[in-house]
Amino acid sequence: MVMTNDSPGAVGPVPLEVKEPPAPGVSSTRRKRSLLKRLRRSPMLYLMLLPGVVYFAVFKYAPMYGITIAFQDYLPFLGMQGSPWVGWDHFERLFSGPDFGRLLSNTLILAFLNVVLAFPAPIIVALMLNELRKQVLKKFIQTAIYIPHFLSWAIVSGLTYLLFALDIGPITVLFNDLFGGRVNFLADPDWFRPLIMVQTLWKGTGWGTIIYLAALAGVDKQQYEAAMIDGAGRFQQLRHVTIPAIIPTVIIMLILNIGNFLDTGFEQIYMLTNSLNRDVADVFDTYVYFMGITNGAYSYSTAIGLFKSLVGLVLILGANWLAKKFTESSLF
Amino acid sequence: MFSRRTLLGGAAAGATALGLAACGGGGSTDADSEITTLKIMAPLLSDTAPDPEGQLQKAVEEFIGMPLEITWVPNSSYGDRVTVTMASDNIPHVMVQTGKSAEFAQTAEAGGFWDLTDILSEYPNLTPQNPEVAHGASINGRTYGIFRLRDAMRAAISIRKDWLDNLGLAEPETTADLMEIARAFTEDDPAGDGSATTGLIIPAWNGYGNNGPYDLWETWYGTSNVWKDEGGTLSPAFHAPEFIEANRTMREMAAAGHINADFATMDSGTWNEPFFNGQGGLIADVSSRGLQLQGLFKDADPEGYLDMVTMVGNLKNADGTLFALPTPGYSGYLTIPKAAVPGDAQLATVLTALDKLSSEEGQRLLNNGLEGVNYEVDGEQAVPIESDEASVIESDISAFAQIGSQSNGYLGLSAKPESEADAALDEKRKAFHESDLESAVFNPGAAYMSKSYLQNGAILDQIVVDARLKFLAGQIDEAGLTAELERWTSSGGQTVIDEMNELYQQGSN
Repeated sequence: MVMTNDSPGAVGPVPLEVKEPPAPGVSSTRRKRSLLKRLRRSPMLYLMLLPGVVYFAVFKYAPMYGITIAFQDYLPFLGMQGSPWVGWDHFERLFSGPDFGRLLSNTLILAFLNVVLAFPAPIIVALMLNELRKQVLKKFIQTAIYIPHFLSWAIVSGLTYLLFALDIGPITVLFNDLFGGRVNFLADPDWFRPLIMVQTLWKGTGWGTIIYLAALAGVDKQQYEAAMIDGAGRFQQLRHVTIPAIIPTVIIMLILNIGNFLDTGFEQIYMLTNSLNRDVADVFDTYVYFMGITNGAYSYSTAIGLFKSLVGLVLILGANWLAKKFTESSLF
Repeated sequence: MFSRRTLLGGAAAGATALGLAACGGGGSTDADSEITTLKIMAPLLSDTAPDPEGQLQKAVEEFIGMPLEITWVPNSSYGDRVTVTMASDNIPHVMVQTGKSAEFAQTAEAGGFWDLTDILSEYPNLTPQNPEVAHGASINGRTYGIFRLRDAMRAAISIRKDWLDNLGLAEPETTADLMEIARAFTEDDPAGDGSATTGLIIPAWNGYGNNGPYDLWETWYGTSNVWKDEGGTLSPAFHAPEFIEANRTMREMAAAGHINADFATMDSGTWNEPFFNGQGGLIADVSSRGLQLQGLFKDADPEGYLDMVTMVGNLKNADGTLFALPTPGYSGYLTIPKAAVPGDAQLATVLTALDKLSSEEGQRLLNNGLEGVNYEVDGEQAVPIESDEASVIESDISAFAQIGSQSNGYLGLSAKPESEADAALDEKRKAFHESDLESAVFNPGAAYMSKSYLQNGAILDQIVVDARLKFLAGQIDEAGLTAELERWTSSGGQTVIDEMNELYQQGSN
């Protein structure tokens, strides 16, 4: 299975931090010394760790040096050394600019919709699939709903344009026959967010179920048997056995999701944007593209990207802190 | 087995090696070294890049007396590659710029490219033939590249001739005529079979002031062209009263269904289809589209295509005045990065080669190919030769034409039309282009790049484009349109106006 970073379902096995009370007499200095000792005792293990460390250092940490251009007036030909420094200018421009309020609210609304609609959808579908008794049917449905994940956004947008085209798209025709009127789904700003959510749900829900199905598969059968002996019906089993069993997974996924809270998906939105719905469609991601790529304002768009990342960092730390405080599971 | 020191040492060595690899060779060009191979970077608009050992490239190399090393980059990613290349150590001697982008202007003004303002006159074939285009192509009056000449007048309306004939209508001369034809094409069953038809076909159009259908319509009404010069002061064309007037009539057409209903979302790549399929009968674009459409009808029906397509040029306004919308007259530049060509002697080598390529023989090589191999001369026109060898060269030409400038005027041969009907349409379009050019409204601000426009231009332009479309679609009324244009002014547009006027006063003195 190919793992990618762009969907919650694609996250590999999540390390759960298990809180153990420190053994009596184990101080932090002891622990440090034992790390050294461990290094000496099993160098091969640490050697195996090395490629990973180097990978992160070279491809994840070193490029962060590029963030400096957010504080410069960067021109590619002058390079990072030669471009003039401007301090916080780009951030001031962003926060005082006429577009900031609109971008922020559009981004937040879409992010909110993602959390309340797109996040729970795979959980619900996974629970439903889990209740299916016919294995053949279950496998068939699983495969069928995975497929959209493998289509690129360009194809999804193309399909959307065909299905929702004004006057001739099958869905438009059906909708207009049922409810009357002449809805222009693709250009009406009121329909932009619903369309985006429909796309997101269609493409991501099936794939998102994978991790929950894996969690569900790990639930101890004996618990169900015990619940049945106690007289629990299907819904009570669901409530008292299944859901508590997958709650840690749900929380981890939620924290991971919240870190990407402001990533509203550039391709998806960009391809559905037009002059008539731009007021609700413009988000930070498309704005960065607009300023950075079409207008050549690399520094300014880096500043916006940096701002977005900071918000993401604060959110993920906050969510993790809350999760730690109120439940037993947390990410780190 | 391994001590901790070995491990750390190994890690450090590994990281250093990777770090060095990432930094690249780091060789800079020496100002005294001689250029023996001309390195060029150019966009590739066709599917296959020319073979460096191919017949055409060999001929070009022989002609300029120097081997060529051309990096062909697919056009869709060309802009990104320019950025990456400028930040790298491997910069070509000649870099094609596809347009006057903000990034190009900033890099040029920061000294990234040679300022050729006082140098080009030493090279006869690089001296611009048309000073107006040359001024428009400059950045605030300075020339940072050799512009690539294009036709200054291309605007044309393609019309379904059979529909005109069916309804007994004459070709349009004024904007009012066009509206009447659009109405008739929608309501009077022009195809004669009761099928649903519309008048004007307009696709989703990105950008402002780039010769789109809306720009044409507004210019015909008298808004001028992007900037309007009133008594020596520049103001944006969309602040002219004619802008509202032009869009009011356009909105009437849209509301009455005389324009395709999906004009805000239609894919411009499929622009020809509704015209060809008989869903619409008018396209306001460039004259090469008319020829394309004629070609489509010809492929479908080699006998009966003669009366399907006709074209007219720019339209007069209600007072009978003609304001014709010209193109900028050029498309991008050949620029010479200083990092690759640091010395005067090297610059001379590069310019001498480009000068040769712009001579009559050079232009024919780049635009027509090899005489006797892929074309033959018939009077002033080129007649293609059919052979496998020729088709390779034909494909190579479509790429090599990108590295020609022709700023001294086009000296190549034009292709001979395939049939008399094609020749007639071609003649017609040339005639109206020539007469339209006399009434062309050039953009008085074309040469000037204001600092704040470089920063916010894309966002500011978008305000106008969106406001116009929202108005046409009926989402906002006239007050709303005015308010949106106000928003342009308050979002930084006023600074652009002030800066442009400052530059304009300096430039005209």
